Amino acid sequence: MAESPAATRERLRVVGRRLPRHDARDKVLARTLYAADWQMPGMLEGAVLRSPYPAARITRIDTSRAAACPGVAAVLTARDVPHNILWTDVPGQTSVVGPLRARVQVLADDQVRYQGEAVALVAAETREIADRALELIDVAYEAQPGVFTTEDALRPDAPRVHEEGNVLATWRVRCGDADTALARAHAVVEQTYRCGLIDHAYLEPEAGVAWIDADGVVVVRASTQVIEHFRDVADVLGLPHNKVRVIGPYVGGGFGGKEDVTVEVFLGLLAYRTGRPVRMVWSRQESLLARPKRHPFTLRYRTGAARDGTLLAHRIELTADAGAYAYLSALVLLYATVTAAGPYRVPHVAVDARAVYTNNPPTSAMRGFGAMQMVLGYESQIDQIARRLGLDPVEVRRRSALRRGDRLPVGQALDTHVAVAEAAERAWAALGPPRAPSSPRHRVGRGLACNLQPYGRLVWLRDWASAWVGLEADGSVVVRCGVPDVGGGQASSLCQIAAEALGVEPDRVTVHIADSALTPLAGTTTATRQLYMSGNAVLVAATQLHDEVRRVAARLLETPVEQVALADGAATAGPERRVLLADVVKECARLGVPRSHLGVYHAPAGDPVDLERGGGRVFPDYTFGAHAVEVEVDVDTGAASVRRHVACHDVGRAINPQSVEGQVQGGAVMGLGYGLMEEIIVDRGVNLTTSFASYLIPSALDVPDVEPIIIESGDGKGPFAARGIGEPPIGPPAAAIANAVEDAVGVRITDLPITPEKIARALGLLSGG
Amino acid sequence: MPAAPFDYEAPATLADALDLLRERGEDARPLAGGQSLVPLLTLRLARPRLVVDLDRLHELRAVRRTPGALEVGALVRHRALERGEGLLALCPLLQEAAALIGNARVRALGTVGGSVAHADPAAELPAVLRALDGAVVLRSARGERVVDAGDFFVGMLTTALAPGELLTAVRLPLPSPGAGFAVEEFSRRAGDFAVVAAVAVVELDGGAVARARVALAGVGPVPARLDRLEAALRGERLESGAIRRAVAERPLEIDPEGDIHASAEYRRHLAAVLTARALERAAEAAGRAIV
Repeated sequence: MAESPAATRERLRVVGRRLPRHDARDKVLARTLYAADWQMPGMLEGAVLRSPYPAARITRIDTSRAAACPGVAAVLTARDVPHNILWTDVPGQTSVVGPLRARVQVLADDQVRYQGEAVALVAAETREIADRALELIDVAYEAQPGVFTTEDALRPDAPRVHEEGNVLATWRVRCGDADTALARAHAVVEQTYRCGLIDHAYLEPEAGVAWIDADGVVVVRASTQVIEHFRDVADVLGLPHNKVRVIGPYVGGGFGGKEDVTVEVFLGLLAYRTGRPVRMVWSRQESLLARPKRHPFTLRYRTGAARDGTLLAHRIELTADAGAYAYLSALVLLYATVTAAGPYRVPHVAVDARAVYTNNPPTSAMRGFGAMQMVLGYESQIDQIARRLGLDPVEVRRRSALRRGDRLPVGQALDTHVAVAEAAERAWAALGPPRAPSSPRHRVGRGLACNLQPYGRLVWLRDWASAWVGLEADGSVVVRCGVPDVGGGQASSLCQIAAEALGVEPDRVTVHIADSALTPLAGTTTATRQLYMSGNAVLVAATQLHDEVRRVAARLLETPVEQVALADGAATAGPERRVLLADVVKECARLGVPRSHLGVYHAPAGDPVDLERGGGRVFPDYTFGAHAVEVEVDVDTGAASVRRHVACHDVGRAINPQSVEGQVQGGAVMGLGYGLMEEIIVDRGVNLTTSFASYLIPSALDVPDVEPIIIESGDGKGPFAARGIGEPPIGPPAAAIANAVEDAVGVRITDLPITPEKIARALGLLSGG
Repeated sequence: MPAAPFDYEAPATLADALDLLRERGEDARPLAGGQSLVPLLTLRLARPRLVVDLDRLHELRAVRRTPGALEVGALVRHRALERGEGLLALCPLLQEAAALIGNARVRALGTVGGSVAHADPAAELPAVLRALDGAVVLRSARGERVVDAGDFFVGMLTTALAPGELLTAVRLPLPSPGAGFAVEEFSRRAGDFAVVAAVAVVELDGGAVARARVALAGVGPVPARLDRLEAALRGERLESGAIRRAVAERPLEIDPEGDIHASAEYRRHLAAVLTARALERAAEAAGRAIV
C-alpha cells in the first residue's frame, strides 16, 4: 500500500529540508573557478573570426598575414578541420526530412548562412594579439540574397538556405475530427500569435580551456550543460572517443544555451594544433550575436468550445524559424507539437507544425524547449473563450483540466497526479482582493495561465543516467556523477538524496560531478531531467549500498536486519543497540562486502510513436502548474507592469524547497522578461541587439516578488516522487500577462513582447494606425 | 571585451591636463566618471591612444553661486546633485533630474561634465541645461570660452568642444523663486536611458503663465526646446485641462526618428504625454509656491 504524502514527509530526514547549497558560499565569495577563471602555464588565448554577412559565398581566405603576426600560434580555417561537420541525431523524425540534415559546419567552408557564423580561429599569446590577428585575416565574401522570414523562406522561388530546401522538419497530430467539431462548436475563437527571438542571457558567457594531458588525452574544461560533447570534439578531431575528456565546472547559467557545442570543439582544435593550453572566452556581444537562440513561432489557433466553456477542438498551425542551421529545431518543434493543446482535455485536435530555415541566427534549445512558446497560444485562446462566454477564468480551465488517466492528443495516458485545476485555483486565490490602481491614469487587470512541460527526454531516446555512491572508511560518503551543475542545485540535490538514503547529514557527503573521464555519465543537464534522472541513479546506488551496509550492521548488532535503521551516521536497532557507520564500513571491508555501487536508472522507454495516429507515450511524465498575475497599465503610455505574480507548480516532492522556490522564481522572472521586453531584433539577418543596452532583460526593479506556491502531491517519477521543475515555471508568465492586459484595458496583444508601444497602438493612441 | 590598449595619465593640475589634451589632440580622451567612456572603450567604439584621467583635478569639483546662477564643476557627481549637497540645493530641479539618471552605481561615479560633454540625446542633464537656458564653460590651453547650451549640442554625441578643449563647468541660471519645475521620463526598463524625457519650468504671474519652458530628450539628435508651445502657453490661465489642450492643439515642433526601442510615431506620442505631464506638474508646483 502506498504511503500517504504526509506520512512520507514525516519519515524523511534530509529530503524536504531547506538547505543552503554547499556551493553557494564559494560562489558568493568568488572562490568558485568558473570556466573562464582557469589558468595554466603557457596558456594561449583563442578567438573566433565571424562572418559579417548573413548570406554570402566565401571566395577566398588569406590567413598569411595573421599567421605571420608575432605571438600568433595558430590560425585555422575550414580546411584545417579534420572533420568539419557536427551532427545532431534526431531519432524518430517522422517527416521525409531525415535525421542527417541536422548538421552544422564547424567553420564555414565556402558558404556563410548567418551573421556571426564562425569562419576562422586564432590562438595567440595574448587576447590582444589574437584580436589583431583576426583583423589580419583577409576574407573575400560575395554577398548573396538571403531569406529572413519564414513566409519568404516558404515561397517556391525563395533562395535556398541549404541545398535540400528550406523546410527542415514537419510534425502532424490528428486526434478526433477537429474540423467537424469546430463546425459544431458553440463558440469558436481564431487568432494568430507570434512569439519572438530571445537570448538565454546568462551571467556567464561561453568559455573554456583545453589542453593535452600527459597521456595524450585532449581535455576540455568548459562551461557546458553536456559533458558528452567529448564525442563531438573527438569526431571533429578524428580521435577515438576515449581520447577526449570534458570537465564541466560550475556553470553560470545555461538555460539550453550551453546544450549545443559552444567553445568545446574550437578549443579542442586549437589545443590539438598548438599542443598548448588554450583559453577561449566569448564576449557578451559575441554571445548575443552568434549563439543559437529561442525559436520564434507563428501560432495559428482555431479553438472551439461548448456553451459551458468545455473545450471541444483545436486546429493549430505552427511555424518555427529555425535560423540557418538545424541544431535541435526538429526536437523543439516536436515538444511544441505534443503540448500545443495545453494541459486540457480536448477531444479533437489537429496540429500541423513545421520548422523552416532562414538566414537568421540559428535557434535551438532554450528553457521550455518549444513547449513554452505554446502557452501563449492555448492560454490566450481559453481566456478569450471565457470572455466570450462570460465565464470565470478559473472555472473555464477547471472544466477541461487534464486529470490522471486522461490522454494527450498524441495518445499518451497520464499515469501520475495532474494538478492543473488545483494549481489554477490556488494561484488565482492567492492574488487576494483586487487592489486599487496607483493613479487615475492606471488600470489594473488580472490574468491566469496554466501549462504543462515534459520532464525527462523522449521515451524513444531510451534515456538513462548513472551514478556511483561509496562509503569511505570513516563513514563519509562520496557521490560521483557526471551531472553538470548549471546553477540549479543539481549537485547539492544529489548530496541530499544520498544523505537521506544512507542516514547521514548532507555535510558528510562529497559529490564529484561532470567529468567525462572520472564520473559515471548521467546525460545532459537539459530537458528538466537531472533531478529526475541522476537523482534516481544516486538513489538506486545509495539504496543498494544502504541494503548491504544494513545487513552487515545487523550482524554486528546481532539483530534481525528489519530492526536496523541507518540514521545520524550510525546503524541502530532500538535505543540501546548502536554501531557507528565507520565501524560498519570497516566490517564490510573485512568481510569483502562492496562499499560502493554504481547505480543506473533507466527512464520509461518506448519505440518512436506515430504522433499522427495517436501512438502513445512520448515523454516519461509532465510537470503541471499555473501562474496568476496582476498588471497595471498606464493608459497614456501603454506601459504594463506586473504588480503581483503567483507561481504554483506541483513538484511531486520538494527535495530542497529553497532550490525549488529559486527555480520557480527564476523561471517566472525569465518568463516575465519574455512577455514584456526581451527581443533579439534582426534586420535582414543583421542582429541589432548585441549588447545589454539594446537587448533588454528585466532588472530587479522591473519585477515584483514572485510568490511561489509549491504543491507536493507525492506523485512523480523522480527520487522520492519528485517531478522536474527546471523548465516549467518559464512557461505561463507571458500568456498570463497578455490575459491580464486584456482584463485591464480591453485589448488583446498577440505578439511578444508586449511592449508599451504595442499596447499604445492597440489602444488607438498612435495616430498612424 | 577588454579595451584596446591605451596610455594613461592622471595630471595633478588643470593646466597639465589642458597641455596634455593640446599636445595629443584627437588621440586623447578625457576621463571623468567613466560611465560613458568606459563602455565605449570596452566595446572598442572608442580607441584613444591616451586617456587623461581628470580625477585629481579637485578644482573641477567646485560649486559656485554667481548672481542669478549656479556654476557646477564638471567633476561634480550625479549623486551629489541627487542629494542636493551644499549649494546644489539651490536648484532642486537638479535633484529631480539626477535621480532619474541610470542607476545608483552610475550616479555614484558619473559626473555632470561627463554627461553633458558626451551629449547622449536621451540624457537628462543636457535637457535640464537647455530648459534653464544654461551654458557650458570650455577651457583649453589657449583660454576659456562660454557657450550657450543651445549652441553647444551640435548633433548626436557631438558638441562644440574643439580638440584640446575641456568642459570644466556648467552654468545654470536659477529659475525665479516661486517657479515650478518637473521632470517626466519614460524608459523601457528601470535605470535605462529615457526613451523620451521632458523637463518643464513654469513661472506664474497671478494665476497665469508668465513663462513656461520645456526641453525634451530622446526626440532628436540634440535636446529640443518647444518654443512655439512655450509662446502659446504665455498668459494661459491654469484651469483644469488647459495645458493638456495647449499641448494637444498643435503638433510638437520635433522630428524624432525611430529606433529599436520606439518608433518615431511612438516617440512623438510619448513626447506629447510627457510634455503635458511635466508642464502640469510644474504649473501645480508654481501654483503652490504662490499660495
